[in-house]
Amino acid sequence: MATNYQPGDVEPISGSYVHTEVEGVDHRIYVEENGPEDGIPLLCQHTAGNNCQEWRHLLTDEAITDEFRVIAHDLPYHGKSVPPTSQKWWTDDYTMTAERFTETLVNLADALELEDPIYMGSSMGGNIALELADWYPERFRALIGLECGAYSPGFYIDWLDHPEVNTTEVNAYACWGLMAPQSPEPTRRETMYLYEQGATGVFKGDLYYYSVDHDYRDKLDQVNADECPLYIANGEYDYLTTPEDGRQAAEGIGEGATAIELAEIGHFPMSEHPELFNAYIREILADITGDRDEDLPSVLKPDDVGIELHQRGPAREKQAK
Amino acid sequence: MNDTELGTHEWWESYKETVNNDPEMKVRGHDKFSENFYVEIGDERVLLEVDGGEITQLVPNPTMNQQWSFGVEGDREAWEEFVQETPPAFNHEIIASHYRSAVRNEDGHLQLTGNNKKIFQNLRAFQRTLDLMRVAHNDGGS
Repeated sequence: MATNYQPGDVEPISGSYVHTEVEGVDHRIYVEENGPEDGIPLLCQHTAGNNCQEWRHLLTDEAITDEFRVIAHDLPYHGKSVPPTSQKWWTDDYTMTAERFTETLVNLADALELEDPIYMGSSMGGNIALELADWYPERFRALIGLECGAYSPGFYIDWLDHPEVNTTEVNAYACWGLMAPQSPEPTRRETMYLYEQGATGVFKGDLYYYSVDHDYRDKLDQVNADECPLYIANGEYDYLTTPEDGRQAAEGIGEGATAIELAEIGHFPMSEHPELFNAYIREILADITGDRDEDLPSVLKPDDVGIELHQRGPAREKQAK
Repeated sequence: MNDTELGTHEWWESYKETVNNDPEMKVRGHDKFSENFYVEIGDERVLLEVDGGEITQLVPNPTMNQQWSFGVEGDREAWEEFVQETPPAFNHEIIASHYRSAVRNEDGHLQLTGNNKKIFQNLRAFQRTLDLMRVAHNDGGS
């Protein structure tokens, strides 16, 4: 992971806008990418209410971008993907659904002319891996659902879009405990900072999909993981979609589905602890490309990937009065 | 680890000092976090009277003469997990713990009570105040 940039260094990430039709409407979608043009496309989906900056550490990891063309986008209404100028979008509540979400992802892959891409997303981006495997298994080489479960109730909360609440802070800090406390504080704080950039109502609208619309408890046998390999990788500290939830989903799907617990990390692995996540995800990517000889373990631990956990400093001095 | 047992008078006084000198509270209290709340550890309830982001008074066993907006309840084991320097998953933060109680109906976690609107209006400062229990319990550790 490139973390030691100096003044004057330019990160190798490039940004562009691609036009994609969703529900018959043209959307201008912002995309960042790095890696060889002929590399294996790895399409990365951010979490609810966030944007593509969550993937900035993966986008600059040479151990991954040497082989993969890593692409991260802002969904419509998120980050730099502003709402379509052809619509009176301000007269409707923003609401994400499984149909809109999958159509956006598939049409974006088509617009970018991605051949046999790997899809990877976290949280709502993890859950949607089930719908993608069910409805579009032929479009992807493999799917990686991070923090993925069959059902994730309880987070469609009115206070996340309320005129008497500071939603900028609340949308972020409602998620604070989704991260592992041993993840480095600067990257945990940055993850929350990214959350504070979301537009009003968008986080809650995404959570309609996440906590209401998405319910695969009785539909897991429809998921076509035998046609398109599906990896479900959930962090130990994710209290919304626990590793046990991931194991149950994989068992319900059956052939082609693999559950992996990611130890010592939470619900935002790529941004809360990039060094550890990138090391974990290299193992899963190697399994997809056939570069890994052994089966993936049921639990990936920092020791397995040569990462020494963030060391807590000595007890800090209490602030002087 | 602090030698002082969780919930003793000395522990609460040390905690109050930690909160009132925390630089983040100076920012996130915005001088406007002024809601009383209680912490219930097992059967022992302590009211924290908060004004402008600082704890002004700790009131053991509050009565009808006091007022508060919300509270956090849990058994002693859950709180002892919460204040560990590296707490276990699901008891490492209040929303995490409350979710496992309120949505997943699991035992052994902390639970929020009271005025939800006040909780969300003050979430970040309230959350930081609770996280500082961990700092105080570990002699200023993270």
